[in-house]
Amino acid sequence: MTDGTAARSAAGAPPAAELRGITKRFGPVLAVDGVDLVLERGTVHAVVGENGAGKSTLMSVLYGLHRPDAGQVLRDGREVRLSSPLDAIAAGLGMVHQNFRLFGSLTVAENVVYRAEPARFGLVDRSAAERRVEELSARIGLDVDPTARVDTLPLGVRQRVEILKALHRQAEVLILDEPTAVLTPGEVDSLFVVVRRMAEQGTTVALVTHKVREVLEATDRVTVLRDGVVTARLTTAQTTAGEVVEAMIGRGLVPAVNPRGAVSGEPVLEVSGVRMPAAPGASRVQDVSLRVSPGEVVGIAGVSGNGQRELVEAVVGLRTAQAGTVRLRGRDLAGLGVRERRGLGIAYVPEDRPGVGTAAALSVADNLALGHHRTPPIGRRGRLSPRAVRAQAADLVRRLGVKTAGVAVPLSSLSGGNAQKVVLARELHHEAALLVVEQPTQGVDVGAGEEIHRLLLDYRARGGAVLLVSYEISELRALADRVLVMLDGAVTAELDAADATEEVLGAAMVHGGGAHAAGTTTGGGAAR
Amino acid sequence: MSALAQRLRLGAPAALVPLGAVAVAALVGALVMLAAGVDPLRGYDAMFRGALSVSNIDFAVAGFTAILAMSLAFAIPARMGEYNLGGDGQLVAGGIAAAAVALYLPGPAVLLLPACVLAGALAGGALASVSAPLSTRAGVPVIISTLLLSTPMVALASYLVRFPLAEEGSPVPQTPRLPDAAHLPAFPGMSYTNVGLVLVLAVLLVTVYVDARTPVGYEIRVAGANRGFAAYGGLSVPRLTLGTLAAAGAVAGLAGAVIVMSQPFRFIDDALTAPGYTFAGVAAALLAGGRPALLPVTAALFTILSVGAAGMERDVDVPRQLGQVLQAVVILVLALRVLAARWMAARARRAAGGRA
Amino acid sequence: MDVLNLAFVAAVLTSAAPVLYAALGGALCGRAGVFNIALEGQLLCGAFAAVAVSWWSGSPWLGVLAAVVSTAVFSFVLAVGAVAWRADPIIVAVGMNLLALGLTGFIMREALDATGTFAPAGLQGLPDLDAIDGVPVLGAVLGRATVLVPVAVVLAVALSLWLARTSVGLRLRGVGEHPEAATSLGVPVTRYQMATVVVAGALCGLGGAQLSLGTVTAFTENMTAGRGWVAVAAVMLAVNRPLWVLGACLLFGAAEAWGFRLQGIGLPQQLTDAAPYLVTLVVLVLSRIRVRRRLSAADPLAAENAAHPEAVIHPEETR
Repeated sequence: MTDGTAARSAAGAPPAAELRGITKRFGPVLAVDGVDLVLERGTVHAVVGENGAGKSTLMSVLYGLHRPDAGQVLRDGREVRLSSPLDAIAAGLGMVHQNFRLFGSLTVAENVVYRAEPARFGLVDRSAAERRVEELSARIGLDVDPTARVDTLPLGVRQRVEILKALHRQAEVLILDEPTAVLTPGEVDSLFVVVRRMAEQGTTVALVTHKVREVLEATDRVTVLRDGVVTARLTTAQTTAGEVVEAMIGRGLVPAVNPRGAVSGEPVLEVSGVRMPAAPGASRVQDVSLRVSPGEVVGIAGVSGNGQRELVEAVVGLRTAQAGTVRLRGRDLAGLGVRERRGLGIAYVPEDRPGVGTAAALSVADNLALGHHRTPPIGRRGRLSPRAVRAQAADLVRRLGVKTAGVAVPLSSLSGGNAQKVVLARELHHEAALLVVEQPTQGVDVGAGEEIHRLLLDYRARGGAVLLVSYEISELRALADRVLVMLDGAVTAELDAADATEEVLGAAMVHGGGAHAAGTTTGGGAAR
Repeated sequence: MSALAQRLRLGAPAALVPLGAVAVAALVGALVMLAAGVDPLRGYDAMFRGALSVSNIDFAVAGFTAILAMSLAFAIPARMGEYNLGGDGQLVAGGIAAAAVALYLPGPAVLLLPACVLAGALAGGALASVSAPLSTRAGVPVIISTLLLSTPMVALASYLVRFPLAEEGSPVPQTPRLPDAAHLPAFPGMSYTNVGLVLVLAVLLVTVYVDARTPVGYEIRVAGANRGFAAYGGLSVPRLTLGTLAAAGAVAGLAGAVIVMSQPFRFIDDALTAPGYTFAGVAAALLAGGRPALLPVTAALFTILSVGAAGMERDVDVPRQLGQVLQAVVILVLALRVLAARWMAARARRAAGGRA
Repeated sequence: MDVLNLAFVAAVLTSAAPVLYAALGGALCGRAGVFNIALEGQLLCGAFAAVAVSWWSGSPWLGVLAAVVSTAVFSFVLAVGAVAWRADPIIVAVGMNLLALGLTGFIMREALDATGTFAPAGLQGLPDLDAIDGVPVLGAVLGRATVLVPVAVVLAVALSLWLARTSVGLRLRGVGEHPEAATSLGVPVTRYQMATVVVAGALCGLGGAQLSLGTVTAFTENMTAGRGWVAVAAVMLAVNRPLWVLGACLLFGAAEAWGFRLQGIGLPQQLTDAAPYLVTLVVLVLSRIRVRRRLSAADPLAAENAAHPEAVIHPEETR
């Protein structure tokens, strides 16, 4: 509280937005505990913390998505009560969510003016709407075609549409929630230019992120959260990456603790010259080659949407490569489907857990049986033993410590971390030669994340080969023996674990090969 | 007893909803009868007698056979989330195929009976199978393609029975009476109830077994719960779709064959579709939910509704369409079962005081 | 102009009109994000109410009004069940279709004392557009049709413009495409969807009235005979776009009119009756294959769900 008062008197005018003593709990979990946050007019303010630190909850309170259990929200020094995002919009707040809320089949102009249309006699004045978009874009230095259909645009441009939407509604305070997660390196740079431009014109920007590099590059002030409380308030110009990181994770960066496994024998997986063309909704893959040996974890680093998903789908048999070969223990997999490939020894933990990795409506036991249902003890000579399904499930649940009310309850009753353990339990139980894993700790709390990492390393220790796709550098450092960096569908760098420092990896993900001291980055909770 | 309840997954709320649906339908029926100036007690009495009295039970069991088969024809693909509403076409395809075989393929009963039944099942199965690639390759929902294929099939059968297969000089569009060798053996003392019932019950048993005790049954449930999950696990969604639809069409075709191979032993235009077996079966399958073992119970209920409705029309002059109305009400109330589920979930959440 | 060809155009329009009304209603629902396969039952409801009220009142126009009102009221079942209470729209619609079939048959027996077909001598159908008989071309095309036929065509164009140009149309498109986004901007999604379902019901009422007081002057049990399902197919084919719906329905109408012609030269009616349904299905399959391919290229796993009703409403979206 004192901090807020001090800031106000220093600036002379009240801050554009202020949160005072915000507390919010979800059931037994205290997400945010008495947090103060001051957003001075015309500044770019970083709200930093690891996953689960409380920064999203805090911003949801500011945008009216959550009612705080205690505390006040102030706009221009006056208290406002925000019971929905509509109140927030009316109070001059705007938010760009991680998952964009855009209408794909509508044009840019239609998206921007939606529900706030320039209209005559109930007819939308299209040219006025388009002029408005052009005018707003020009003001902050954007180049957006108002007549383009949104679903034809790349993600970076869609994000600009979200920003224009907020500006059209006269937002003076704009919250950007992890805005760079979906962007290509070039788009990140131009986003920061736009953010700077908006701040110069008096818009206040709250930039929510867990990437230290972005904090240093793009902001004026920093508020660091850890475990729901503020651990530091810093001025960007006077701070260092180390200081921010220490406030985020409570200690300095530690070197990766990942003793290399004993790599031996012929490669389990050999991918050579795989190519796939770009398609609407799918990235291209350009001439990717890689090999994974027994007892080795090979990591694929890169910003999401640089061809990782397409590459993985070509390995597991969900997608057909245009050119190139995929070999498993020397055998060419061309023409084989998912079932055959799984039979030859591929297990797979997919990124999309609710859509692909599990069936929410089925029981935990049924979720654990997929792929094991035609082999003993569950399946035998065309029969399936429900008893064996339950027994196997009970055994796996116990061994991996899945917290569930039983194996007959629907999977939807499990938390994200436990659902992920179910997926991992099922796939590890194959004891396949190759395990393909995408984002194993996404949406998983820190404790479960650590257990999942341990399980993967145990699997490697037993001689398993792992192909790991992750967007979190800390996770790659914790698990991988070698790291390949993908950018625009091509492998642009290949690093040994020892060389794969966060600086080098971060730079390669953004600029392609070669080291570029762009600053320090830290990943999510996995590092803890 | 409790073991049986558990096996049928008859937990308290799970059983309450179907029973509630039937109760609401009965109430609506009573109101409709009151509006029509009929004492509901007399109406329902007439309905039950229309189906279950000694003189009607023979005919009612034949209706039950058809409705049970049609409930399977809906329930089997529904297990993987596909709605087969083209039962009429499949039923008619089976009937006309069985009739054609019986009329053109002379032989002893021991050969002709299985040939006719098989022809019916094949024809129904073939028609339903068309919808599988339309769904998995072209993305046309099964619910739409089955219906759009049904109307032309009924029209085609209507044509066949008027021209190539018609009985000369008959005022009604119908085939000649099938040869004796193609008559399904009736139960002693019965004229409508015959071996067809045994065949359909056998199909039911196989379905229950496959559903609960085989890898294929498991795969069908997985595909019904999440197609992406199924494909990720290496299951062939197209093959499962084809299999369930072919099986469903085959059961419907079997029902058609059984009908034409029973009294009066001919394919009569409209006779297969007019009683509304298809939608009585749909209603029965929806009422049974995901529990194939309950199908005989729900099919019996809808048999009383549809066969009994004719008796009700005769005795107390309430139009037989009331049966259809009651079926519709049961379906609508069942559709609202999500409300009960949501209400219970909300209560559980409140009780637990968990997170929002 | 060849009078014979103009007569053919007239036949096409008359055959297409009832399906067109229903399909426009279905397209509106699709735009609002509601999967409406109750069109068959709604058409039947309208057809019956039109005949019943025209018979009792002696005025076909009151019959049309009754068809519109009663079908709109009937649509509340879908609006409340599937939209407000979020029950499975498919099961609700199956129930509604059966309910319409049963109720119309029941009331016909009970109140009109008829079975099978109701076509008494005094039943007033909608008048033809005799006034324009003399107008060249137009007279030949529409002179034998009711006013509901040209209105259906005009409506398709009007709805297309309304969706594209008006504020409410824009908001409706947003509601169906991304309800959460629309909600976050302050559009009451449930109210929009319910209103759309009821308006669609009113349109089906017009379609039903055209069927039972225009195309013929009679009500027959189950007289829609799958036309509501053809409308559903037309909606899918057109991906909810009213002008494409018009095209799809004209195709159906052409198949039916052509069938009548073939009957004229001796082909059995039963075979020509089947043609429109098969034509509709074939065209639908051809159009969907393309969508399915594109989905598959973007995301093979999501494409497995391409035939799911949700995916059918929003074929553009992947996952």
